[in-house]
Amino acid sequence: MSAVHTKDRSLPRRMFLRNLGGVTIGLPPLAAMFNANGTAFAGTLKAEIPTRFVLWFNGNGVVEKYWIPAETGSDFTMTPCLAPLAPFRNDIHIVTGLDNPAARLPGPGNDHHRSMAALMSGTQFTGRGSGGASIDQAIAARVGSENRFRSLQLGVSQESFGESIQRNMSWAGYDRSLPPEMLPNKLFDRLFGARDAGWIARKKSVLDAVQEDAAGLKKALGQEDRTRLDEHLSSIRDVERAIASLPPNYRRVDPPDAEGDMKDWPRIAKLQSDLLAHAFASGQTRVASYMLTKCQGLARFPWLGYTAARHHDYTHRDGKAPGYDAPDGQRVMRDICRWHVEEFAYLIGKLKSIKEGDGTVLDRTSLLFVHEHAEANDHKNNGYSLIVAGHAGGLRTNMHTRSTGTVSDLYLAVANKAMGAGLAKFPSASKEIQGIFA
Amino acid sequence: MVVRIAILFLAILLLLLAQKDPRSPGPDYFAKQVLPVLHKANCEGCHNSGGGVAAGTRFKIPEGELSKEEWARFGLSLHTLVNRADPTQSILLNKPTKRLAHAGGQRIVPGSADEAVLRTWTDYLVSNTKPTDKFEIAERRGDRKPVLRRLTNTQYNNTVRDLLGDDTRIAEQFPPEDFVNGFRNQFQSQSVSPLLAEAYATGAEKLAKSAFRGGDTRGLVPCKDTTPKCGARFIKEFGKQAFRRPLLENEQGRYLKLWAMGGAPMVVEGMLQSPNFLLRTENGAEPSWQPYESASRISYAFWNSMPDTELFRAAAAGELATPEGVEKQSRRMLRDPRARHTVDEFTAEWLRFDSLAAAVKERGSFPMYTPELALAMTEEARKLVEYLVWENVNFMELYSADYAFVSTPLAKLYNVPPPAEEFGRVALPAETERSGVLGQAMLLAATAKPSETSPTARGLFVREHFLCQEVPQPPPGVNANLPLNSREKPMTNRERLAMHLSNESCASCHTLIDPIGFGFEKFDAVGQRREKLKIVFTAERKEKGKTETVLLDLDTSGSIAGAPNSAFRSPRELGTILAGNTQCQQCVVKQLFRYYQGRMEKPGDAATIRRSYDDFKKSGFHFQELMVSLLRWSIFPPES
Repeated sequence: MSAVHTKDRSLPRRMFLRNLGGVTIGLPPLAAMFNANGTAFAGTLKAEIPTRFVLWFNGNGVVEKYWIPAETGSDFTMTPCLAPLAPFRNDIHIVTGLDNPAARLPGPGNDHHRSMAALMSGTQFTGRGSGGASIDQAIAARVGSENRFRSLQLGVSQESFGESIQRNMSWAGYDRSLPPEMLPNKLFDRLFGARDAGWIARKKSVLDAVQEDAAGLKKALGQEDRTRLDEHLSSIRDVERAIASLPPNYRRVDPPDAEGDMKDWPRIAKLQSDLLAHAFASGQTRVASYMLTKCQGLARFPWLGYTAARHHDYTHRDGKAPGYDAPDGQRVMRDICRWHVEEFAYLIGKLKSIKEGDGTVLDRTSLLFVHEHAEANDHKNNGYSLIVAGHAGGLRTNMHTRSTGTVSDLYLAVANKAMGAGLAKFPSASKEIQGIFA
Repeated sequence: MVVRIAILFLAILLLLLAQKDPRSPGPDYFAKQVLPVLHKANCEGCHNSGGGVAAGTRFKIPEGELSKEEWARFGLSLHTLVNRADPTQSILLNKPTKRLAHAGGQRIVPGSADEAVLRTWTDYLVSNTKPTDKFEIAERRGDRKPVLRRLTNTQYNNTVRDLLGDDTRIAEQFPPEDFVNGFRNQFQSQSVSPLLAEAYATGAEKLAKSAFRGGDTRGLVPCKDTTPKCGARFIKEFGKQAFRRPLLENEQGRYLKLWAMGGAPMVVEGMLQSPNFLLRTENGAEPSWQPYESASRISYAFWNSMPDTELFRAAAAGELATPEGVEKQSRRMLRDPRARHTVDEFTAEWLRFDSLAAAVKERGSFPMYTPELALAMTEEARKLVEYLVWENVNFMELYSADYAFVSTPLAKLYNVPPPAEEFGRVALPAETERSGVLGQAMLLAATAKPSETSPTARGLFVREHFLCQEVPQPPPGVNANLPLNSREKPMTNRERLAMHLSNESCASCHTLIDPIGFGFEKFDAVGQRREKLKIVFTAERKEKGKTETVLLDLDTSGSIAGAPNSAFRSPRELGTILAGNTQCQQCVVKQLFRYYQGRMEKPGDAATIRRSYDDFKKSGFHFQELMVSLLRWSIFPPES
């Protein structure tokens, strides 16, 4: 398949179309770069491969003393929570001291609701959801339109209090949640399920009729509802795009084992990470959010040996959960936050294991690890310690930087340096943080 | 350039002129200066015309968007809180500064600049108003703004069941719905994400395929050929069912194209993804759809499903244009078993059955707590509501019933004789101190921690779910951990929670919550009765295995701050109070309103809620009457 390795995008595109038996389908340019043996983009120059972004979420929050390295600069000592990242020292940059000021705006909701909306979007909780688009969506709006999926939302643990702001991390806009796909089998089917040309043509005709229906209905509505219908329309167009561009001829992904325990979160997390890595490698999307545990989450941790209470219970002293200010409670929290980092490290490792161009997928990816509260027990919403990973945008790695900016200031740096999103502003940001990227 | 500079100067000059001297306030001083101070103190957290805990006091900040003039009128209306003889003695000043007892605590620091602003306004009111002045803000008419509502997953399942005869409940595969405003059907949060749109596409394809597997076995197509004529007939007839209104001409043409490509299955696949199927409008701009919108409002309110043939007929015949017509159809639909499922869903969401499913209980202390027992707990709650609603019993017995519908394991947990049949009725003797939902393990367990009760969570549940009152959330950054129990100083929850009540910033809200929860203290984390609080201390490492048990007396005296004569000492006594409490009775109406309308009530809905409440009360609190009345007043909002 040497043809695929050339920079002439039209060639594989023609081949691709021929295989569809003459059905003309508008393929996004990226699809032209897929090949059959799974080494997507092999031989292409690094600079030509688009970068990707992952916003990774850890519910409830962390314990600062087990998380924040004592030293800044490159010689910092890995803390107990960050220990799983030791093999990836040269792939990460720890940024601490970040503020989440919108969490303190007076308004409805508890601390979890407020911090979550503020952390994701720099805006105030509306009483129902986020007050604006989350950072992954702000980026996707600028860079996502060339791909089969503008963005992907993945989730793992489902245990939560059930409210919208607690169950979703990605927001298309004011009160517009984008629910994560929690089941690896369904995600696999979306990404790699086989489709034939007749099916695509049929689907397209149906969706055309549906879009015309929506346009007709718009006339009967007020302005607010027209906006909502527009969002519905845009979702239909997203479906159409995902259908119109056939899944790539990308053969290295096996469907996840449908028989396994669907509540075994470490297992599900790894399956989701594998699929995400392959989705990136096959050029299906450039933006993803990954919700490992829920906001104010209630995950149980049998694999860590903690079954007496749930994630949120452990962050406070709650019944038999010993709680932050008891020594054994801190140990529990340390193990829980380390597990979150462990799964994050797994994804980093996975991205690093896939060859791409003259490097690996990790070279062209930027991952941002965020957690709900800077300190879980007292719902601290300033002094966040976040992790940036991957080499997109020339991340300065093996570093710990203490900053005084806001989380949104860091978002701007990632959006612009790593993703080239050209984002001039984002709520709660005053200026792009410097010194994180080369 | 010169012109620009001149314009700039002029603008600055005008701005300066517009800035009045703050020491001599005008009527707009309230909106500009006072309102921000009240906002900063979060007065509206409790004093709001919606569900705030202080909604019953003389000071209520209106909700919703008010015009400039309306805010000015509201500011002037505060003259009733001013002491004209001695303005320094005005409660407008002395409540928020807590010089006078204030359940909400000290919200404004005495002597601060904020108080000075309030003082300025007090003086303005003294000199610019008369005691007899009335500054009422006109009540808003129930708004008839167009509303777009998406079928909930339940409604989707029921609708395809009634439309296609498909009862595979395929929407259970869709992304689960989240809670907002206490329910899963609130339209402000019903976005159609790409993931959901994909699920709709996949669902439609599957449903269409299985509807015509082995031919048209369900008789959906009225004719048996593939001609456009047959297609047109099918599209017209089936389309009216699917879109719940007659199709427009261009819509018919659109689907005729699909018919030509793939016959009836393709038409069905398309219609099931159409916004005309997935969404329904209320008060839409198309006048000819109005009767059909009403038909859908009735059918989704009572059945969570599409209108049936009779309802379509009534819509076409114009019978739904009057309250009487709507009421007649409502009563007919109530008699169908489908109405029962709707009440079940309302109950499960209102009482948050899901939180019990997510609960964990410490195995050592509560070995009897199994998933089966948790299910029995929610079933008991469902059974009680079912009985009250469908046997036409006074619905307020939800709180005061001295009987229960329990399984044998639940009877054992409650220490009452087992029922004759599973979930049969048993009496709750007075000494159980249980009554209605307040004594149910469902509520007692869901509002408790893994091994200990939480008077705070129980108090909050009563405030929010049964009194429809919002209690402000704790300020950010508060360490909410209560003091630990130690062998040296074992404490009851009341003693541990005393911290809340002695700390000013905690007390302002916790005095509203915790004292309600204290009345439940004789019921443990799974809803079992206990006479004393048992605390087990595990020994230090060297003397491993040894435990020490301490038994503490429980003081269960509680009260509902703000409600007169509300002292109680058990769930049973609380039940009697709540059953007769107007706010609690009205809260039933509000909860059903939120579920019916898919949104929170707004100031403009006051008349609808009041009229429905009047009907509810007049009927002897029969829930079926409330269902009928509330829908009637929702479709035809009263003038006052």
